[in-house]
Amino acid sequence: MAGFLSTYGFLIVSMVMGALLGLSLYLPLMTGQLSLASPGFYALGGYIAAILSTQVFKVSDGLYPIGLVLLEMSIAGVVSGVLGVLVGIPALRLRGIYLAIATIAFVEVLRVLSLNLDITGGAVGIFGIPQPFLTPIEYLWIVIPLLLMSMVLLYRLERIRLGRAFTAIREDELAAGAMGIDPTYYKVLAFTLGAILAGVVGAVSAHFLNTWNARQGTFDASIVYLTSVLIGGTRTFVGPVLGGMVFTALPEVLRAIADTAGLPLWLAQFLRDGRLIIFGLLIVLGTIFFPQGLVTPDLFKRRKDRKSQS
Amino acid sequence: MTLSEALASEFPTYRAFFMKPPIPLLEIKELYVNYGGIQALQNIDLTVNAGEVVTLIGANGAGKSTTLRAISRLINPRSGQIVYQGRDITRRPAHEVVQLGIAHSPEGRRVLARQTVLDNLELGAYTRSNLAAVRADLDRQFEIFPRLAERRLQLAGTLSGGEQQMLAIARALMSRPKLLLLDEPSLGLAPAIVLEIFSIIRDLRATGVTILLVEQNAKLALERADRGYILEAGRITLTGQASNLLNDDLVRKAYLG
Repeated sequence: MAGFLSTYGFLIVSMVMGALLGLSLYLPLMTGQLSLASPGFYALGGYIAAILSTQVFKVSDGLYPIGLVLLEMSIAGVVSGVLGVLVGIPALRLRGIYLAIATIAFVEVLRVLSLNLDITGGAVGIFGIPQPFLTPIEYLWIVIPLLLMSMVLLYRLERIRLGRAFTAIREDELAAGAMGIDPTYYKVLAFTLGAILAGVVGAVSAHFLNTWNARQGTFDASIVYLTSVLIGGTRTFVGPVLGGMVFTALPEVLRAIADTAGLPLWLAQFLRDGRLIIFGLLIVLGTIFFPQGLVTPDLFKRRKDRKSQS
Repeated sequence: MTLSEALASEFPTYRAFFMKPPIPLLEIKELYVNYGGIQALQNIDLTVNAGEVVTLIGANGAGKSTTLRAISRLINPRSGQIVYQGRDITRRPAHEVVQLGIAHSPEGRRVLARQTVLDNLELGAYTRSNLAAVRADLDRQFEIFPRLAERRLQLAGTLSGGEQQMLAIARALMSRPKLLLLDEPSLGLAPAIVLEIFSIIRDLRATGVTILLVEQNAKLALERADRGYILEAGRITLTGQASNLLNDDLVRKAYLG
Protein backbone atom coordinates (compact mmCIF):
# COMPACT_ATOMS: atom_id res chain seq x y z
CA MET A 1 0.00 0.00 0.00
CA ALA A 2 2.72 2.44 0.96
CA GLY A 3 4.52 1.57 -2.26
CA PHE A 4 1.41 2.12 -4.31
CA LEU A 5 0.76 5.48 -2.70
CA SER A 6 4.30 6.70 -3.20
CA THR A 7 4.26 5.62 -6.85
CA TYR A 8 0.80 6.90 -7.68
CA GLY A 9 0.34 9.63 -5.05
CA PHE A 10 1.19 12.33 -7.53
CA LEU A 11 -1.29 10.98 -10.05
CA ILE A 12 -4.08 10.56 -7.50
CA VAL A 13 -3.79 14.16 -6.31
CA SER A 14 -3.65 15.33 -9.94
CA MET A 15 -6.83 13.41 -10.63
CA VAL A 16 -8.68 15.10 -7.79
CA MET A 17 -7.47 18.47 -9.06
CA GLY A 18 -8.63 17.47 -12.53
CA ALA A 19 -12.06 16.79 -11.09
CA LEU A 20 -12.09 20.23 -9.45
CA LEU A 21 -11.08 21.93 -12.69
CA GLY A 22 -13.75 19.96 -14.52
CA LEU A 23 -16.25 21.41 -12.03
CA SER A 24 -14.94 24.92 -12.60
CA LEU A 25 -15.72 24.50 -16.30
CA TYR A 26 -19.06 22.90 -15.50
CA LEU A 27 -20.28 25.88 -13.44
CA PRO A 28 -20.58 28.35 -16.34
CA LEU A 29 -21.92 25.49 -18.43
CA MET A 30 -24.83 25.20 -15.99
CA THR A 31 -26.10 28.43 -17.50
CA GLY A 32 -25.25 27.25 -21.00
CA GLN A 33 -22.03 29.22 -21.26
CA LEU A 34 -19.18 27.40 -22.98
CA SER A 35 -16.29 29.12 -21.23
CA LEU A 36 -12.71 27.93 -21.52
CA ALA A 37 -11.40 30.52 -19.08
CA SER A 38 -10.79 28.14 -16.17
CA PRO A 39 -7.11 27.43 -16.97
CA GLY A 40 -6.49 31.18 -16.99
CA PHE A 41 -7.82 31.56 -13.46
CA TYR A 42 -5.97 28.39 -12.49
CA ALA A 43 -2.72 29.93 -13.72
CA LEU A 44 -3.52 33.17 -11.92
CA GLY A 45 -4.20 31.37 -8.64
CA GLY A 46 -0.94 29.47 -9.03
CA TYR A 47 1.08 32.65 -9.55
CA ILE A 48 -0.57 34.27 -6.54
CA ALA A 49 0.38 31.32 -4.33
CA ALA A 50 3.88 31.09 -5.83
CA ILE A 51 4.62 34.78 -5.38
CA LEU A 52 3.15 34.96 -1.89
CA SER A 53 4.96 31.89 -0.61
CA THR A 54 8.37 32.65 -2.14
CA GLN A 55 8.50 36.43 -1.81
CA VAL A 56 6.06 37.57 0.85
CA PHE A 57 5.75 34.97 3.57
CA LYS A 58 9.28 33.49 3.28
CA VAL A 59 9.15 30.59 5.68
CA SER A 60 12.69 29.21 5.65
CA ASP A 61 12.86 26.43 8.21
CA GLY A 62 10.89 23.20 8.16
CA LEU A 63 7.60 22.52 6.42
CA TYR A 64 5.57 25.39 5.07
CA PRO A 65 2.57 25.99 7.37
CA ILE A 66 -0.74 24.71 5.99
CA GLY A 67 -2.48 27.78 7.39
CA LEU A 68 -0.56 29.93 4.95
CA VAL A 69 -1.51 27.63 2.07
CA LEU A 70 -5.15 28.07 3.03
CA LEU A 71 -4.64 31.82 3.22
CA GLU A 72 -3.10 31.81 -0.26
CA MET A 73 -6.02 29.76 -1.54
CA SER A 74 -8.45 32.32 -0.12
CA ILE A 75 -6.55 35.23 -1.64
CA ALA A 76 -6.35 33.42 -4.99
CA GLY A 77 -10.10 32.77 -4.80
CA VAL A 78 -10.93 36.40 -4.06
CA VAL A 79 -8.66 37.78 -6.79
CA SER A 80 -9.97 35.26 -9.34
CA GLY A 81 -13.52 36.10 -8.32
CA VAL A 82 -12.99 39.84 -8.81
CA LEU A 83 -11.29 39.25 -12.16
CA GLY A 84 -14.09 36.81 -13.02
CA VAL A 85 -16.71 39.52 -12.56
CA LEU A 86 -14.64 42.05 -14.53
CA VAL A 87 -14.07 39.63 -17.42
CA GLY A 88 -17.50 38.01 -17.15
CA ILE A 89 -19.64 41.12 -17.52
CA PRO A 90 -18.37 42.02 -21.00
CA ALA A 91 -17.54 38.45 -22.12
CA LEU A 92 -20.93 36.97 -21.31
CA ARG A 93 -22.60 39.22 -23.84
CA LEU A 94 -21.14 36.73 -26.29
CA ARG A 95 -22.72 33.38 -26.91
CA GLY A 96 -21.67 29.88 -27.85
CA ILE A 97 -18.53 29.62 -29.88
CA TYR A 98 -17.80 33.37 -29.63
CA LEU A 99 -17.64 33.17 -25.87
CA ALA A 100 -15.34 30.16 -26.17
CA ILE A 101 -13.04 32.14 -28.46
CA ALA A 102 -13.06 35.17 -26.17
CA THR A 103 -12.17 33.04 -23.16
CA ILE A 104 -9.35 31.34 -25.08
CA ALA A 105 -8.07 34.83 -25.84
CA PHE A 106 -8.29 35.66 -22.13
CA VAL A 107 -6.19 32.61 -21.26
CA GLU A 108 -3.64 33.61 -23.91
CA VAL A 109 -3.45 37.18 -22.61
CA LEU A 110 -2.67 35.89 -19.13
CA ARG A 111 -0.05 33.52 -20.54
CA VAL A 112 1.72 36.22 -22.52
CA LEU A 113 1.61 38.55 -19.51
CA SER A 114 3.15 35.91 -17.27
CA LEU A 115 5.87 35.30 -19.84
CA ASN A 116 6.82 38.95 -19.89
CA LEU A 117 6.38 40.23 -16.37
CA ASP A 118 9.23 40.25 -13.88
CA ILE A 119 7.11 39.30 -10.93
CA THR A 120 6.08 36.02 -12.58
CA GLY A 121 9.65 35.13 -13.41
CA GLY A 122 9.25 35.43 -17.17
CA ALA A 123 9.72 32.29 -19.21
CA VAL A 124 11.59 30.55 -16.40
CA GLY A 125 8.75 30.97 -13.97
CA ILE A 126 8.89 30.63 -10.24
CA PHE A 127 10.44 27.66 -8.55
CA GLY A 128 11.33 26.34 -5.17
CA ILE A 129 7.78 26.88 -4.02
CA PRO A 130 7.84 25.64 -0.41
CA GLN A 131 6.19 22.37 0.51
CA PRO A 132 3.65 22.01 3.31
CA PHE A 133 3.89 18.19 3.14
CA LEU A 134 6.63 15.59 2.89
CA THR A 135 4.99 13.44 0.20
CA PRO A 136 2.68 14.32 -2.69
CA ILE A 137 -0.11 12.03 -1.48
CA GLU A 138 -0.58 14.16 1.64
CA TYR A 139 -1.97 16.94 -0.56
CA LEU A 140 -5.14 14.90 -0.45
CA TRP A 141 -5.71 16.49 2.98
CA ILE A 142 -6.38 19.72 1.11
CA VAL A 143 -7.86 18.67 -2.21
CA ILE A 144 -10.26 15.96 -1.00
CA PRO A 145 -12.11 18.29 1.43
CA LEU A 146 -12.14 20.91 -1.32
CA LEU A 147 -13.65 18.44 -3.77
CA LEU A 148 -16.23 17.21 -1.25
CA MET A 149 -17.19 20.78 -0.38
CA SER A 150 -17.59 21.71 -4.04
CA MET A 151 -19.64 18.59 -4.72
CA VAL A 152 -21.95 19.19 -1.77
CA LEU A 153 -22.39 22.81 -2.85
CA LEU A 154 -23.19 21.76 -6.41
CA TYR A 155 -25.53 19.02 -5.22
CA ARG A 156 -27.43 21.63 -3.24
CA LEU A 157 -27.19 24.17 -6.03
CA GLU A 158 -28.86 21.88 -8.53
CA ARG A 159 -31.84 21.66 -6.21
CA ILE A 160 -32.44 25.21 -5.03
CA ARG A 161 -33.91 28.29 -6.71
CA LEU A 162 -30.53 29.49 -7.90
CA GLY A 163 -29.76 26.24 -9.69
CA ARG A 164 -33.17 26.21 -11.29
CA ALA A 165 -32.54 29.68 -12.64
CA PHE A 166 -29.25 28.38 -14.08
CA THR A 167 -31.03 25.49 -15.77
CA ALA A 168 -33.81 27.70 -17.11
CA ILE A 169 -31.22 30.01 -18.68
CA ARG A 170 -29.38 27.05 -20.21
CA GLU A 171 -32.55 25.67 -21.72
CA ASP A 172 -34.05 28.90 -23.02
CA GLU A 173 -32.59 32.27 -22.18
CA LEU A 174 -35.45 34.21 -23.69
CA ALA A 175 -38.07 32.23 -21.82
CA ALA A 176 -36.07 32.63 -18.62
CA GLY A 177 -35.98 36.37 -19.17
CA ALA A 178 -39.73 36.40 -19.75
CA MET A 179 -40.18 34.64 -16.40
CA GLY A 180 -38.33 37.40 -14.61
CA ILE A 181 -34.96 35.69 -14.29
CA ASP A 182 -32.12 38.11 -14.99
CA PRO A 183 -29.88 36.06 -17.33
CA THR A 184 -26.87 38.38 -17.19
CA TYR A 185 -26.72 38.31 -13.40
CA TYR A 186 -26.84 34.52 -13.15
CA LYS A 187 -24.45 33.98 -16.04
CA VAL A 188 -21.86 36.26 -14.46
CA LEU A 189 -22.45 34.56 -11.10
CA ALA A 190 -21.90 31.07 -12.53
CA PHE A 191 -18.84 32.24 -14.45
CA THR A 192 -17.41 33.86 -11.32
CA LEU A 193 -17.99 30.78 -9.16
CA GLY A 194 -16.09 28.76 -11.77
CA ALA A 195 -13.29 31.33 -11.75
CA ILE A 196 -13.00 31.24 -7.94
CA LEU A 197 -12.80 27.45 -7.90
CA ALA A 198 -10.12 27.41 -10.62
CA GLY A 199 -8.10 30.06 -8.79
CA VAL A 200 -8.22 28.14 -5.51
CA VAL A 201 -7.13 24.93 -7.21
CA GLY A 202 -4.29 26.80 -8.92
CA ALA A 203 -3.00 27.98 -5.54
CA VAL A 204 -2.78 24.40 -4.24
CA SER A 205 -1.33 23.21 -7.50
CA ALA A 206 1.56 25.68 -7.32
CA HIS A 207 2.75 24.11 -4.06
CA PHE A 208 2.02 20.65 -5.31
CA LEU A 209 4.08 21.07 -8.48
CA ASN A 210 6.80 22.98 -6.64
CA THR A 211 7.28 25.19 -9.70
CA TRP A 212 4.97 27.47 -11.64
CA ASN A 213 5.46 28.92 -15.10
CA ALA A 214 3.62 30.00 -18.22
CA ARG A 215 3.10 26.40 -19.26
CA GLN A 216 0.54 25.94 -16.49
CA GLY A 217 -3.03 26.57 -17.47
CA THR A 218 -2.70 27.00 -21.20
CA PHE A 219 -5.03 26.36 -24.09
CA ASP A 220 -3.98 22.68 -24.00
CA ALA A 221 -5.40 22.45 -20.50
CA SER A 222 -8.64 24.06 -21.70
CA ILE A 223 -9.04 21.21 -24.17
CA VAL A 224 -8.34 18.55 -21.56
CA TYR A 225 -10.93 19.94 -19.15
CA LEU A 226 -13.39 20.57 -21.92
CA THR A 227 -13.04 16.89 -22.83
CA SER A 228 -13.63 15.80 -19.27
CA VAL A 229 -16.81 17.87 -19.01
CA LEU A 230 -18.20 17.05 -22.44
CA ILE A 231 -17.47 13.33 -22.21
CA GLY A 232 -18.09 13.05 -18.49
CA GLY A 233 -21.45 14.72 -18.68
CA THR A 234 -22.85 18.22 -18.86
CA ARG A 235 -26.13 17.65 -17.05
CA THR A 236 -24.98 16.68 -13.58
CA PHE A 237 -21.88 17.62 -11.62
CA VAL A 238 -20.93 13.93 -11.26
CA GLY A 239 -19.96 13.90 -14.94
CA PRO A 240 -17.20 16.51 -14.75
CA VAL A 241 -15.87 14.99 -11.51
CA LEU A 242 -15.46 11.54 -13.03
CA GLY A 243 -14.40 12.99 -16.37
CA GLY A 244 -11.78 15.18 -14.74
CA MET A 245 -10.32 12.18 -12.92
CA VAL A 246 -10.33 9.84 -15.90
CA PHE A 247 -8.90 12.33 -18.36
CA THR A 248 -6.18 13.44 -15.98
CA ALA A 249 -5.13 9.82 -15.62
CA LEU A 250 -5.55 8.95 -19.30
CA PRO A 251 -2.14 10.27 -20.50
CA GLU A 252 -0.43 8.16 -17.83
CA VAL A 253 -2.40 5.11 -18.91
CA LEU A 254 -1.52 5.77 -22.53
CA ARG A 255 2.13 6.11 -21.56
CA ALA A 256 1.96 2.74 -19.79
CA ILE A 257 0.41 1.16 -22.88
CA ALA A 258 3.09 2.74 -25.05
CA ASP A 259 5.74 1.06 -22.91
CA THR A 260 4.45 -2.44 -23.60
CA ALA A 261 6.94 -4.39 -25.61
CA GLY A 262 6.35 -5.22 -29.26
CA LEU A 263 4.33 -2.12 -30.20
CA PRO A 264 5.32 -0.50 -33.49
CA LEU A 265 7.41 2.57 -32.80
CA TRP A 266 5.00 5.06 -34.45
CA LEU A 267 2.09 3.80 -32.37
CA ALA A 268 4.07 4.04 -29.15
CA GLN A 269 5.13 7.55 -30.13
CA PHE A 270 1.53 8.51 -30.90
CA LEU A 271 0.29 7.17 -27.56
CA ARG A 272 2.94 9.19 -25.77
CA ASP A 273 2.64 12.51 -27.61
CA GLY A 274 -0.71 12.38 -29.37
CA ARG A 275 -2.61 13.27 -26.21
CA LEU A 276 -4.32 16.35 -27.67
CA ILE A 277 -5.19 14.52 -30.89
CA ILE A 278 -6.84 11.78 -28.86
CA PHE A 279 -8.71 14.30 -26.71
CA GLY A 280 -9.87 16.19 -29.80
CA LEU A 281 -11.07 12.95 -31.33
CA LEU A 282 -12.92 12.07 -28.13
CA ILE A 283 -14.68 15.46 -28.11
CA VAL A 284 -15.87 14.96 -31.68
CA LEU A 285 -17.01 11.38 -31.13
CA GLY A 286 -18.50 12.19 -27.74
CA THR A 287 -20.61 15.08 -28.98
CA ILE A 288 -21.92 12.91 -31.80
CA PHE A 289 -22.73 9.76 -29.84
CA PHE A 290 -23.19 11.09 -26.30
CA PRO A 291 -24.40 14.66 -26.65
CA GLN A 292 -25.09 14.87 -22.92
CA GLY A 293 -21.94 13.02 -21.89
CA LEU A 294 -21.63 9.58 -20.37
CA VAL A 295 -23.00 10.42 -16.92
CA THR A 296 -26.55 11.76 -17.25
CA PRO A 297 -29.17 12.48 -14.57
CA ASP A 298 -31.28 9.62 -16.02
CA LEU A 299 -28.59 7.22 -14.94
CA PHE A 300 -29.39 7.94 -11.30
CA LYS A 301 -33.10 8.04 -11.89
CA ARG A 302 -33.17 4.63 -13.50
CA ARG A 303 -31.21 3.16 -10.65
CA LYS A 304 -33.68 4.65 -8.18
CA ASP A 305 -36.60 3.28 -10.17
CA ARG A 306 -35.02 -0.13 -10.19
CA LYS A 307 -34.60 0.01 -6.43
CA SER A 308 -38.21 0.96 -5.86
CA GLN A 309 -39.39 -1.84 -8.12
CA SER A 310 -37.43 -4.60 -6.49
CA MET B 1 -74.84 45.01 -17.55
CA THR B 2 -75.84 48.47 -16.39
CA LEU B 3 -77.81 50.82 -18.59
CA SER B 4 -74.85 53.05 -19.31
CA GLU B 5 -72.72 50.07 -20.28
CA ALA B 6 -75.44 48.81 -22.55
CA LEU B 7 -75.76 52.20 -24.16
CA ALA B 8 -72.01 52.45 -24.52
CA SER B 9 -71.74 49.15 -26.31
CA GLU B 10 -74.67 50.03 -28.55
CA PHE B 11 -73.61 53.60 -29.32
CA PRO B 12 -69.88 54.33 -29.31
CA THR B 13 -70.66 58.05 -29.26
CA TYR B 14 -72.38 57.60 -25.91
CA ARG B 15 -69.18 56.10 -24.52
CA ALA B 16 -67.16 58.97 -25.89
CA PHE B 17 -69.33 61.69 -24.39
CA PHE B 18 -70.82 60.37 -21.20
CA MET B 19 -68.51 57.78 -19.73
CA LYS B 20 -65.26 58.48 -17.94
CA PRO B 21 -62.32 57.72 -20.19
CA PRO B 22 -60.84 54.38 -19.14
CA ILE B 23 -57.54 54.48 -17.25
CA PRO B 24 -54.71 53.23 -19.43
CA LEU B 25 -52.83 50.34 -17.87
CA LEU B 26 -50.23 50.46 -20.61
CA GLU B 27 -49.42 53.29 -22.91
CA ILE B 28 -46.86 53.12 -25.69
CA LYS B 29 -45.82 56.40 -27.26
CA GLU B 30 -43.86 56.82 -30.50
CA LEU B 31 -42.00 53.55 -30.09
CA TYR B 32 -39.18 52.75 -32.52
CA VAL B 33 -37.30 49.46 -32.50
CA ASN B 34 -34.38 48.56 -34.75
CA TYR B 35 -32.80 45.20 -35.43
CA GLY B 36 -29.36 46.16 -36.65
CA GLY B 37 -30.08 48.50 -39.53
CA ILE B 38 -33.62 47.28 -40.07
CA GLN B 39 -36.48 49.27 -38.61
CA ALA B 40 -38.78 46.71 -37.01
CA LEU B 41 -41.20 49.16 -35.42
CA GLN B 42 -41.90 52.73 -36.44
CA ASN B 43 -43.84 55.24 -34.42
CA ILE B 44 -46.05 52.78 -32.57
CA ASP B 45 -48.75 54.31 -30.37
CA LEU B 46 -50.77 51.80 -28.45
CA THR B 47 -52.95 51.90 -25.36
CA VAL B 48 -54.30 49.07 -23.26
CA ASN B 49 -56.89 49.90 -20.61
CA ALA B 50 -57.37 47.94 -17.41
CA GLY B 51 -59.75 45.02 -17.93
CA GLU B 52 -59.58 45.08 -21.72
CA VAL B 53 -58.61 42.44 -24.19
CA VAL B 54 -56.68 44.19 -26.94
CA THR B 55 -55.44 42.35 -29.98
CA LEU B 56 -52.58 43.15 -32.28
CA ILE B 57 -53.04 41.75 -35.76
CA GLY B 58 -50.74 41.63 -38.72
CA ALA B 59 -48.91 39.47 -41.20
CA ASN B 60 -45.70 37.58 -40.51
CA GLY B 61 -42.87 39.97 -39.77
CA ALA B 62 -45.13 42.95 -39.24
CA GLY B 63 -43.62 43.52 -35.80
CA LYS B 64 -46.24 41.99 -33.52
CA SER B 65 -43.85 39.89 -31.45
CA THR B 66 -41.33 42.71 -31.45
CA THR B 67 -43.93 44.97 -29.83
CA LEU B 68 -44.54 42.44 -27.06
CA ARG B 69 -40.82 41.92 -26.55
CA ALA B 70 -40.30 45.64 -26.25
CA ILE B 71 -43.00 45.82 -23.57
CA SER B 72 -41.58 42.92 -21.55
CA ARG B 73 -38.14 44.45 -22.10
CA LEU B 74 -36.60 41.46 -23.80
CA ILE B 75 -35.36 43.90 -26.45
CA ASN B 76 -34.30 47.53 -26.22
CA PRO B 77 -36.32 50.14 -28.08
CA ARG B 78 -34.37 52.76 -29.98
CA SER B 79 -36.67 55.55 -28.90
CA GLY B 80 -40.14 56.17 -27.58
CA GLN B 81 -41.79 55.51 -24.28
CA ILE B 82 -43.51 52.59 -22.60
CA VAL B 83 -45.59 53.68 -19.63
CA TYR B 84 -47.16 51.09 -17.36
CA GLN B 85 -49.43 52.19 -14.51
CA GLY B 86 -48.07 55.70 -14.88
CA ARG B 87 -44.47 54.46 -14.58
CA ASP B 88 -41.95 54.74 -17.37
CA ILE B 89 -40.61 51.22 -17.89
CA THR B 90 -38.81 51.88 -21.18
CA ARG B 91 -35.38 51.26 -19.65
CA ARG B 92 -36.28 48.94 -16.77
CA PRO B 93 -34.71 45.44 -16.81
CA ALA B 94 -36.95 42.54 -17.80
CA HIS B 95 -37.09 40.92 -14.36
CA GLU B 96 -38.33 44.16 -12.79
CA VAL B 97 -41.06 44.41 -15.38
CA VAL B 98 -42.24 40.93 -14.40
CA GLN B 99 -42.33 42.04 -10.76
CA LEU B 100 -44.39 45.08 -11.72
CA GLY B 101 -47.04 42.73 -13.08
CA ILE B 102 -46.41 42.19 -16.78
CA ALA B 103 -46.13 38.56 -17.86
CA HIS B 104 -45.10 37.46 -21.32
CA SER B 105 -46.10 34.15 -22.82
CA PRO B 106 -43.67 34.10 -25.71
CA GLU B 107 -44.20 33.03 -29.29
CA GLY B 108 -43.65 29.35 -29.88
CA ARG B 109 -44.50 28.60 -26.24
CA ARG B 110 -40.87 28.24 -25.12
CA VAL B 111 -41.62 25.82 -22.31
CA LEU B 112 -38.55 24.21 -20.74
CA ALA B 113 -38.79 20.84 -22.40
CA ARG B 114 -36.48 18.95 -20.07
CA GLN B 115 -38.27 20.08 -16.92
CA THR B 116 -41.52 18.90 -15.47
CA VAL B 117 -44.78 20.78 -15.78
CA LEU B 118 -44.53 21.59 -12.09
CA ASP B 119 -40.98 22.94 -12.45
CA ASN B 120 -42.04 25.12 -15.34
CA LEU B 121 -44.89 26.56 -13.33
CA GLU B 122 -42.74 27.16 -10.28
CA LEU B 123 -40.18 28.96 -12.43
CA GLY B 124 -42.99 31.20 -13.63
CA ALA B 125 -43.27 32.43 -10.04
CA TYR B 126 -39.53 33.02 -9.82
CA THR B 127 -39.84 36.67 -8.83
CA ARG B 128 -42.27 35.96 -5.99
CA SER B 129 -41.21 35.14 -2.46
CA ASN B 130 -44.53 34.43 -0.73
CA LEU B 131 -44.53 30.64 -1.02
CA ALA B 132 -48.01 30.12 0.36
CA ALA B 133 -49.46 32.47 -2.24
CA VAL B 134 -47.45 30.75 -4.97
CA ARG B 135 -48.83 27.38 -3.88
CA ALA B 136 -52.36 28.77 -3.98
CA ASP B 137 -51.75 30.10 -7.48
CA LEU B 138 -50.36 26.73 -8.52
CA ASP B 139 -53.62 25.10 -7.46
CA ARG B 140 -55.53 27.76 -9.31
CA GLN B 141 -53.66 27.03 -12.55
CA PHE B 142 -54.48 23.34 -12.14
CA GLU B 143 -58.15 24.29 -11.77
CA ILE B 144 -58.07 26.42 -14.92
CA PHE B 145 -56.02 23.82 -16.81
CA PRO B 146 -57.05 20.39 -15.48
CA ARG B 147 -54.96 18.73 -18.19
CA LEU B 148 -51.83 20.18 -16.65
CA ALA B 149 -52.81 18.82 -13.25
CA GLU B 150 -52.90 15.31 -14.69
CA ARG B 151 -49.46 15.77 -16.19
CA ARG B 152 -47.78 17.75 -13.46
CA LEU B 153 -44.77 15.43 -13.14
CA GLN B 154 -44.40 14.83 -16.86
CA LEU B 155 -41.58 16.52 -18.76
CA ALA B 156 -42.92 19.57 -20.59
CA GLY B 157 -41.33 18.36 -23.83
CA THR B 158 -43.61 15.31 -23.85
CA LEU B 159 -46.81 17.37 -23.80
CA SER B 160 -48.90 17.93 -26.91
CA GLY B 161 -48.74 21.32 -28.59
CA GLY B 162 -52.00 22.45 -27.05
CA GLU B 163 -50.92 21.36 -23.59
CA GLN B 164 -47.61 23.16 -24.02
CA GLN B 165 -49.50 26.31 -24.94
CA MET B 166 -51.64 25.92 -21.84
CA LEU B 167 -48.48 25.46 -19.81
CA ALA B 168 -46.98 28.59 -21.33
CA ILE B 169 -50.06 30.60 -20.38
CA ALA B 170 -50.26 29.06 -16.91
CA ARG B 171 -46.57 29.73 -16.38
CA ALA B 172 -47.07 33.38 -17.28
CA LEU B 173 -50.01 33.58 -14.88
CA MET B 174 -47.82 32.23 -12.06
CA SER B 175 -46.20 35.65 -11.72
CA ARG B 176 -49.72 36.93 -10.94
CA PRO B 177 -49.73 39.52 -13.70
CA LYS B 178 -52.03 42.48 -14.16
CA LEU B 179 -51.14 42.54 -17.84
CA LEU B 180 -50.68 39.33 -19.80
CA LEU B 181 -48.88 39.48 -23.13
CA LEU B 182 -49.95 36.51 -25.21
CA ASP B 183 -47.97 35.83 -28.35
CA GLU B 184 -49.70 33.64 -30.95
CA PRO B 185 -51.44 31.19 -28.64
CA SER B 186 -53.02 29.48 -31.68
CA LEU B 187 -49.72 28.82 -33.44
CA GLY B 188 -49.58 25.33 -34.90
CA LEU B 189 -52.57 24.01 -32.97
CA ALA B 190 -55.60 22.05 -34.13
CA PRO B 191 -58.77 24.16 -34.49
CA ALA B 192 -60.53 22.43 -31.60
CA ILE B 193 -57.62 23.15 -29.26
CA VAL B 194 -57.46 26.74 -30.48
CA LEU B 195 -61.09 27.21 -29.46
CA GLU B 196 -60.38 25.67 -26.08
CA ILE B 197 -57.48 28.04 -25.53
CA PHE B 198 -59.53 31.05 -26.57
CA SER B 199 -62.32 30.11 -24.21
CA ILE B 200 -59.73 30.00 -21.43
CA ILE B 201 -58.51 33.44 -22.48
CA ARG B 202 -62.06 34.68 -22.17
CA ASP B 203 -62.34 33.16 -18.67
CA LEU B 204 -59.08 34.81 -17.68
CA ARG B 205 -60.44 38.17 -18.53
CA ALA B 206 -63.27 37.60 -16.04
CA THR B 207 -60.65 37.17 -13.31
CA GLY B 208 -59.45 40.71 -13.95
CA VAL B 209 -56.35 40.07 -16.05
CA THR B 210 -55.84 42.55 -18.84
CA ILE B 211 -54.68 40.89 -22.03
CA LEU B 212 -52.69 42.07 -25.00
CA LEU B 213 -53.08 39.36 -27.59
CA VAL B 214 -50.97 38.94 -30.69
CA GLU B 215 -52.57 36.73 -33.31
CA GLN B 216 -52.43 35.70 -36.91
CA ASN B 217 -55.90 34.24 -36.67
CA ALA B 218 -57.47 37.68 -37.07
CA LYS B 219 -61.10 36.60 -37.11
CA LEU B 220 -60.93 34.66 -33.88
CA ALA B 221 -58.88 37.35 -32.15
CA LEU B 222 -61.19 40.18 -33.20
CA GLU B 223 -64.24 38.19 -32.14
CA ARG B 224 -62.79 37.77 -28.66
CA ALA B 225 -61.20 41.21 -28.18
CA ASP B 226 -62.55 44.64 -27.25
CA ARG B 227 -60.25 46.61 -29.45
CA GLY B 228 -57.72 45.87 -32.10
CA TYR B 229 -54.67 47.32 -33.79
CA ILE B 230 -53.58 46.40 -37.29
CA LEU B 231 -49.84 46.32 -37.76
CA GLU B 232 -48.27 46.45 -41.22
CA ALA B 233 -44.53 46.52 -41.84
CA GLY B 234 -43.78 47.97 -38.42
CA ARG B 235 -46.50 50.65 -38.42
CA ILE B 236 -49.98 50.74 -37.01
CA THR B 237 -52.27 51.32 -39.96
CA LEU B 238 -55.66 50.95 -38.34
CA THR B 239 -57.16 50.81 -34.90
CA GLY B 240 -60.62 50.67 -33.43
CA GLN B 241 -63.28 48.63 -31.71
CA ALA B 242 -62.81 44.98 -32.54
CA SER B 243 -66.37 44.69 -33.87
CA ASN B 244 -65.79 47.61 -36.24
CA LEU B 245 -62.55 46.14 -37.46
CA LEU B 246 -64.28 42.84 -38.12
CA ASN B 247 -66.63 44.64 -40.47
CA ASP B 248 -64.03 46.90 -42.02
CA ASP B 249 -63.67 46.22 -45.73
CA LEU B 250 -59.90 46.62 -45.83
CA VAL B 251 -59.42 44.33 -42.85
CA ARG B 252 -61.81 41.76 -44.27
CA LYS B 253 -59.96 41.73 -47.54
CA ALA B 254 -56.47 41.59 -46.07
CA TYR B 255 -56.89 39.33 -43.04
CA LEU B 256 -60.25 37.64 -42.96
CA GLY B 257 -60.27 36.25 -46.49
